[in-house]
Amino acid sequence: MSVDTALIDTPPRTGGTFDALYRIAAVARHNTIIRLRDPGQAISYIVMPMVLMLVLKPLYVRAVDGGATQVSTGLMVMFSVFAISLAGNAILSERTWRTWDRLRVSKAASAELLLGKILPIFVIMVVQQSVLLIYGVLVIGLPVPGAPHYVLLAIVIWAFALLSLGALLAAIVRSHGELSVICDVGALTISSLGGALVPLSIMPEWAQTTAYVSPGYWALTLMQAAVRGDLAGMLPSAGVLLVLGLLAGAFAARRLARGWGRGGLI
Amino acid sequence: MLVVTDLVKRYGTVQALDGFSLNVAAGEIVGLVGHNGAGKTTFVEIVSGLIRPDSGHVTIDGRAPSATRGQVGVAPQHIALYPSVTVREHLELYGRLAGLRPVALRAAIDDLAGILRLSDIMDRRTGKLSGGQQRRTQAATALVHRPALLLLDEPTAGADLETRQAMLDVVKQRAGEGAAVVYTTHYLPELTELQATIAVAQNGRVIARGTYEELAKDLPGEVRVVLEDEEEIVLSTTEPTAALMELLGRLDRTISSVEVRHPSLDDLYNSLAVHHVS
Repeated sequence: MSVDTALIDTPPRTGGTFDALYRIAAVARHNTIIRLRDPGQAISYIVMPMVLMLVLKPLYVRAVDGGATQVSTGLMVMFSVFAISLAGNAILSERTWRTWDRLRVSKAASAELLLGKILPIFVIMVVQQSVLLIYGVLVIGLPVPGAPHYVLLAIVIWAFALLSLGALLAAIVRSHGELSVICDVGALTISSLGGALVPLSIMPEWAQTTAYVSPGYWALTLMQAAVRGDLAGMLPSAGVLLVLGLLAGAFAARRLARGWGRGGLI
Repeated sequence: MLVVTDLVKRYGTVQALDGFSLNVAAGEIVGLVGHNGAGKTTFVEIVSGLIRPDSGHVTIDGRAPSATRGQVGVAPQHIALYPSVTVREHLELYGRLAGLRPVALRAAIDDLAGILRLSDIMDRRTGKLSGGQQRRTQAATALVHRPALLLLDEPTAGADLETRQAMLDVVKQRAGEGAAVVYTTHYLPELTELQATIAVAQNGRVIARGTYEELAKDLPGEVRVVLEDEEEIVLSTTEPTAALMELLGRLDRTISSVEVRHPSLDDLYNSLAVHHVS
């Protein structure tokens, strides 16, 4: 006996680009509905950093030059990292509800499904970062960015990297508990080691040396360069984050294309 | 429409499919029956394109499952719905994923809402629905794009009478329109009502196929007659109705109750198992 692998492996005939966009829009619309009916997590990730910025501003201003910039961008980065959890939970819920396989049977390719799932969270993240940026300027004293489009670009790149990481985590963890632990510990590690919580300049030497391994470091560098309007300064960080996002996203799409089988969550 | 040849699938030490073959023509309803573990769900998953067989061939309308997505409608055995999303929103999602544009989508949803008796609950979230309503919603998501091949894996498990009847109605309608249907169930009366061909699966392969009458023709049914003095007469026969008539003609005593039992699915499994082993 032989397997008809050549046929089985053939990508589905999914029609043209317009059809693919139509399917992505369908999944994105569906997931927006789900998000809007359970907005608590997203709201908390906007309100919490606002409160913390206000409380921590005097401390940062006394501790370092450009304290207002540090506290605004630092907390923007720190609370954006929790988007990993939003993305991860959105995908892992498909496993809990056993709906992922229903989607896989449809005409949509796994990359289309993943894009459709992530898009609403991407929008939430861009809105969160924009709100925090405006709040930073109006309330905290963050200098008005000379090139707002650079800041928007930085937000988009960082969001892409984070959401890809979230998808990757959802594809490999075995439970919501596991995801929660990894996201909480990971978010604090990424943001604090990257200098988002405490300015790198006053962190121990070993922390300054290892900061480069944290995506948070590259995000903070990217965001601060964007606020300064320094396009050349943005490029290395943007490159690192884009590569990270592409690798994580590709792995997640490949893994999720196989589904989770009949195994339930632990 | 569906041609499945010699599928083999192993999960570790468990042989889920062991030479599973089944053909289903357009407009035909095949009732796939078998005990738990017979390989029915694995077969459905392979034909859906969700998992790959270790060996064997599957073609749908001459093409592989992965190339025919959108032509297949699948309702899995377990409920797989989004609890915070309404029935209508579910149908819109699956319809759009199949490529239905707004006007056609609305017509398809209205049609299904009527036949599956969902009209009154279209704007309710599925997490708030009864088990039967969830079953009908799930079936609707598989049917909304009018697929050429329908795979319904125990669609009436644990369902109420209304759900069962609605499901049978829609399956008959779709088969009448030319869809090939594979319907797995443990309820023989559903298959007789659907006038389905029955395929019996056991140990990962189809061991018999035919109409109920063909498969059960040599199996004994049972006639149980209780007389007024509580004496009981039990006859085991392949012609229970004829035997009863003959008995009634001979008896000159008052009868308290009569029960005629035709061969059940279990009788069929047991008989086929014996034949298969021997």
